[in-house]
Amino acid sequence: MFDLSSTTAKVVFGLALAFIGFFLFFPLYWLVISSLKGNAELYQVVPTAFPVMPTLDHFVAAITRGKLPMYLWNSLVTSGASALLVSVLAIYAGYSFAKYKYFGRQPVMLFMLSAQMFPFGLLLISLYPMMSSLNLLDTQLGLVLSYIVFALPVSTYMLYSYFSQVPDELIDAARADGASDLRIFHTIVIPISIPPIVTVFLYSFMWSWNDLLYSMTLIVSDDKRTIGPGLLLTYLNEVNSDWGGAMAASLIASAPIVIAFMFLQRFFIQGVTAGAVK
Amino acid sequence: MATSDDTLSDYPVSPLANRRGLKGGQSRVGLLMLLPAALAFSAIILYPFLQALGLSMFQYTVEMMSPRWNGLGNFAKLLADPAVWNAFATTAVYVTLTTVGTLIMGLGWALIVNQPFRGRAVLRSLSLLPWVLPSTVSAFIWGWIFNSRYGVLNAFLMQIGVIHYPQAWLSTPQGAMMAVVLTKVWLSIPLFMAFFLAGLQNLDREQIDAARVDGAGNFAILRDHILPHLRPVLIIVVVLGVIGNLQQFDTIYALTGGGPVRATAVLSVEVYRRAFEQWDIGIASAIGVLWVATLLPPAFLYLRMLVKGNN
Repeated sequence: MFDLSSTTAKVVFGLALAFIGFFLFFPLYWLVISSLKGNAELYQVVPTAFPVMPTLDHFVAAITRGKLPMYLWNSLVTSGASALLVSVLAIYAGYSFAKYKYFGRQPVMLFMLSAQMFPFGLLLISLYPMMSSLNLLDTQLGLVLSYIVFALPVSTYMLYSYFSQVPDELIDAARADGASDLRIFHTIVIPISIPPIVTVFLYSFMWSWNDLLYSMTLIVSDDKRTIGPGLLLTYLNEVNSDWGGAMAASLIASAPIVIAFMFLQRFFIQGVTAGAVK
Repeated sequence: MATSDDTLSDYPVSPLANRRGLKGGQSRVGLLMLLPAALAFSAIILYPFLQALGLSMFQYTVEMMSPRWNGLGNFAKLLADPAVWNAFATTAVYVTLTTVGTLIMGLGWALIVNQPFRGRAVLRSLSLLPWVLPSTVSAFIWGWIFNSRYGVLNAFLMQIGVIHYPQAWLSTPQGAMMAVVLTKVWLSIPLFMAFFLAGLQNLDREQIDAARVDGAGNFAILRDHILPHLRPVLIIVVVLGVIGNLQQFDTIYALTGGGPVRATAVLSVEVYRRAFEQWDIGIASAIGVLWVATLLPPAFLYLRMLVKGNN
């Protein structure tokens, strides 16, 4: 793109790379480094750039002494269930919008998509009493249902834009063979749509896994708590702050989503930017 | 005057007509497929939204058994409340700084990792990390960097002589705002970068090569070719950025709790505090309505872009 043969261009490019790169990566470096420092080293006024005496104490403590494994399990269950639910709903709705024409299709779709702009905090005001009157407050089912808010509109759009590109000829050919619409969808369209479906699953999983607002409000019992509020309450509270523990627990809590993301990022990026860039 | 059969059959017979002819059954299958999502959407998103809008006209606090009609009373009360004005001003500052910051950094980084160099692929995928971290984790990282006693920011600034005493960043209004803005910019760079990279991918290379042969320098190419080409992406990114930043709650709450003295109490934090700390549902909903009103312009732009994208 740019011609970097001249010295000036090289210097400008190098400086920009160093500046933004530092901003982007230093916090991650600091997270990892801090989790490996013992408390004596961590709480020095002049911090060491690299752990002089690296230790896994904080990780061991996080796993054995805290409730982190329980929080992780709760997050896994609620985020997984919610992602599954959102994916199933979005698969059918996205296909319906993409391949069928019925009265009001366009306005309904636009309205559903615009819902991603409804403030999450405002929805919570009514979701809270609603879950309460359904006896779903402080339950995992209530949280799973509430998580739909985050990802259903975008997921539907991502799948809609994918399904729109599936050639009509493919569907028509199967239809000519006498297959029913649902059968065509299940046996022909879904199998070729696994990458975008996985993307949508991961996208909504990420939203729920990373959430603090809903999980902190709709769950009260400690044994049902998920990692977002769990981390906050365990490591930073009024009485004390355990920064080393916070860093180690952060890494553990981030691992599942980071690993999943690393494998699927290509689909993921395509899915999220789908439709926006043509 | 030749009237072909084609033009006749292209003419829509009825709004319900399927594009493959008049097979009402297929429309029904389509509607059936939409039904589960439509039900879930109505129950979990639309109904709570409308109810919250409605509640803004009721006096409703935790001591009351049921909401009492209040008309526009809540709004009158809000207009006289400096905390609400503060929330709007704080939100304006926060959204402007985060959006501009992410725009510059995201575009800059996209231009950098679009350049061919060794290790680019690894750098690209690593730079997506801030985006996928849980919000509590992002808040922890930056809270630790900004820590008044042991934070690396203080240590670094003292080392290079910019400050002589450690600063309690998160306890001063400006410091806290800086911290929440930097956190949000940091975690949104990957998304912005992804959009810009997608835009850069279909740039016309031959045109750029031709311009280069004509003697255009890097800056001229950026100004005359790359930026104009990225204009549509730029607009999308700004609109999505404003919408996302107006929504942001988690990192602010975890990092500063809206403090010190409401210096980082953006609308989302203010609504949360009124609703779930003071349990004043009516007032919280009314702030929410004003919040939705501020979202309308970017929302409108976004919808227009979607409509354009569909056609």
